[in-house]
Amino acid sequence: MNLEQTLEESRSLHARARAMIHAFEGGEPPESFDSLATDLARFQAAHVPGYARLCAARRISLAAIARAGDAPAVPSDAFKLARVFAFDEASVTFRTSGTTSGPRGQHWIRDLGTYDAGALAFGRAMLMADLSRAPVLVLGPSPEDAPDSSLTHMCALFAREFDRDQDRTFFVRAGPMDVSGLRDRIGHLSPRWPALVLATSFALVHLLDGLGGDVLPLPEGSRVMQTGGYKGRSREVAADELRRAVARAFAVEERYVASEYGMTELSSQFYEATIARPDAKPGVFVEPPWARVVPVDGATLEPVRDGEVGIARIEDLANVDSAFAVLTQDRVRRVPGGFELLGRMPGAPPRGCSLALEELLAPDPAQ
Amino acid sequence: VKRTVADRIASVRGLLAASREVYAKRHSFGPELARTTGLSLMGVLLGFEALEREATDDELASLVAAAGDIARVHVVLSANVFTAALRAIALARAAAHFVSVRPSPRDPTLARALVAAARDPNIQIGEDREVGAIHPCEVHVYGRDRTIREIRGRVQPDVVVRGHGPGMGVAIVTRKEWKEQVIPLVRDVVMFDQRGCLSPRVLFVEGDEALGASVADLIHYELAFTHTTNPRGVLSAAERSEATYWSDKAAFAGQVFAGEGHAVCCTQDFSPVLVPPPGRHLLVVPVRSLESAFAALQPVARHIVAIGTDDPERVRPLAPGHARISELGRMQRPPLDGPVDRRSAL
Repeated sequence: MNLEQTLEESRSLHARARAMIHAFEGGEPPESFDSLATDLARFQAAHVPGYARLCAARRISLAAIARAGDAPAVPSDAFKLARVFAFDEASVTFRTSGTTSGPRGQHWIRDLGTYDAGALAFGRAMLMADLSRAPVLVLGPSPEDAPDSSLTHMCALFAREFDRDQDRTFFVRAGPMDVSGLRDRIGHLSPRWPALVLATSFALVHLLDGLGGDVLPLPEGSRVMQTGGYKGRSREVAADELRRAVARAFAVEERYVASEYGMTELSSQFYEATIARPDAKPGVFVEPPWARVVPVDGATLEPVRDGEVGIARIEDLANVDSAFAVLTQDRVRRVPGGFELLGRMPGAPPRGCSLALEELLAPDPAQ
Repeated sequence: VKRTVADRIASVRGLLAASREVYAKRHSFGPELARTTGLSLMGVLLGFEALEREATDDELASLVAAAGDIARVHVVLSANVFTAALRAIALARAAAHFVSVRPSPRDPTLARALVAAARDPNIQIGEDREVGAIHPCEVHVYGRDRTIREIRGRVQPDVVVRGHGPGMGVAIVTRKEWKEQVIPLVRDVVMFDQRGCLSPRVLFVEGDEALGASVADLIHYELAFTHTTNPRGVLSAAERSEATYWSDKAAFAGQVFAGEGHAVCCTQDFSPVLVPPPGRHLLVVPVRSLESAFAALQPVARHIVAIGTDDPERVRPLAPGHARISELGRMQRPPLDGPVDRRSAL
C-alpha cells in the first residue's frame, strides 16, 4: 500500500472518529464503538510494525475480531521504546514529562483535528457545562514554553475556544508561578463571568503554599480543573484535602473542583463529573462515548469483574494513527457512574536482591 | 577483643564447615525453602549449588581485608536470595568478634540453619532486635535501597550502616562458538529464577541482528528444555503482571521467543525500559562491538554487579570497575573474597 492509500485510510478513520465525537454533541452515534475500534486495530497493525509484532506474539488475528477488547493493547512503555505511529512524519509530537524516570515517551499525531474535537466536546461538557464562555486561567506554561506538552496544548485549546478575551492566560513563566500576576488578573475579572482555572496538582500546591492561607476569590460559579500527579515537584496532598484547600482558596464550591485524568499517549481525557452533575461523586471519573477504561487482570489481561481492581486498559477511538488501545500501569476499579483511579501499580515485592525496574530507572542520586 | 587475621579466617572457616553441613542436609530444607522463596523444589536444589562451601586462603584473606575490624556487627537480611546468608554472616564474622543476625522474616530458614550449624557462641540470631535500640558498631543491611535508607535513619548516630542494595547482571557473548555459551548462560538465568543481583537479565551478542535472533532462539529452546527438568517456581500475582507487561512491550520493540515460564526478546537497541523483570526473562541485544555494548549500558552501569562473558580479557578494561567478571555459568558463584556487590556502600 502506498503512502497516499494509507493517508486516505487514515483520513477516513479520522472522519469516523470525529463523527462519533460530533454525535456526542447531538445526534445518534453513526456506528458502534466496536466497529470503529476493530477497524482502527486492523489499520494500526497494518502500518505500525510494533503492533503487528505484538498481535503476532499474542497469536491474535485481527481479521476476524468483532470486539474492541479482542485486540491487544499497546503497553504505555512502548511509547518510550519505538515509534507508535503509522507514518514517518507527524504534524505534532507530544512528549511525556520525563520527571519520573527513564526516557520520555513520545506520541506522534498526524491530524490534531480529532484530538481537538474530542478534547473540546468532552471538556465543554464536563467543565463548562452551563457556561458558554469563561475567562480561562492556566496555572501552567504557555505552548511557547512547553511546545511538546499535550496538557499545555489542551489548556491553550480551551483558552482559545472558551475565553472571549484571552487576556493573560498562562501564569507559569520559565519555572515559577506568577502569583502576583494571577492575583491581579483575578482582581480584574468581572463578577458576572465565572472563570475556569486549569492546573496541575503540584501547581495548585505551589499556589496554596505561596498564598500561605490567603485567598483569591473567583467570581461565583467559577470552576477548577486539576490534573496529574506530583512527580516529586511539590509536597503531596491527598485528593480530598487538595480539593477542600483549592475550593477554599478560590472561594468556590467543592464540587466545582474537578479532576481530569489524561495521558500523553492518549487523545481523550476523563473527568470527575461533579461540575456537570451535582449528584456525581468526587473520585469517580467518566469517559466520553469514544473512549473506554477497562480494568484488566495484569497477568492475563482479561477484564476483571465490576468492582474489582485491575490495571487500566484504555480504548481511545481518537488515537487513530498510533494505538487505539493502551495498557497503562494505573490501577482502576469500575463503580456505578464510571471508574475510580487508585494510583500506579506498585512493583512486585522483592523476593531477592534483583533490581526492580523503578530502581533501574530512578535518577542517579550522585548526579 | 583483639583478633588476628588468622583468628578471623578461622572463624570464617568455621562457617564454611557449617555451610557444608547444611548443604549435606539440603534435601530436608527443600520444601520449606520452596515455599518461602517461590522457587520450585529443583530450583532450591540448584540454588544450593551457589552456597559457598570452600574458599582458598587467598580468598579468605581478601574477605577479611574487605571486612574491616570492629567489635560488633548486626546483620539485617531483608531482600536477598536464600544462600546469601552465608556470605553476609561470614563478612560480619570476619569483621567482628560478635555478630547478631536478623533473618528475613519471609525467608529465615537458611540463616537460622547456618547459625545453628556454626555452633559459634559469638554468632546469634537476633530476630527481635530493633536496630535503633541496639548498639553494635556496624549494621550490615541486605535489602532494597529504601530499606537501607530507613535503617540508616533509625540507628544511633555513631553506628555505621553498610548497605548492600539490589543490582543486576549482564552477559556478553563475543565468540564464533557462541552456541557453547548457551547452556552455561541459561544456568545463570535459571538459578534463583533471576531474583538475585548476580542474575543476568540482558545479553549482548557481538554480531548482527540475525545472529542476535539465532542466539535468542537457542536460549528459548534451552530454557524450554530446562523447564522440563527444573521448572520455574511460582511467580506472585504482581510478578506475573510485570512479566506480562514486559513481554508485551518487548514484543512491540523486537522479536519475542516465549515458552512456558520464560520469554526471550531480541531487539536492535538496548533501553533500560526493556530490562526484564525477574523470572526467566532475557533481553538479547546484538551489538557491533563491545565498546557499543558498554556505551549502551552507561546509563545503568552503576547497577551492574556482575558480568558473565566468554571473553573476560576483552571485557575487563571496558566494564565498570565495581562489576565482578566471570565466565558464563559462574556468575552466581563468585569466590568468597568479599561482598558479592563491590559497589561502594550506599
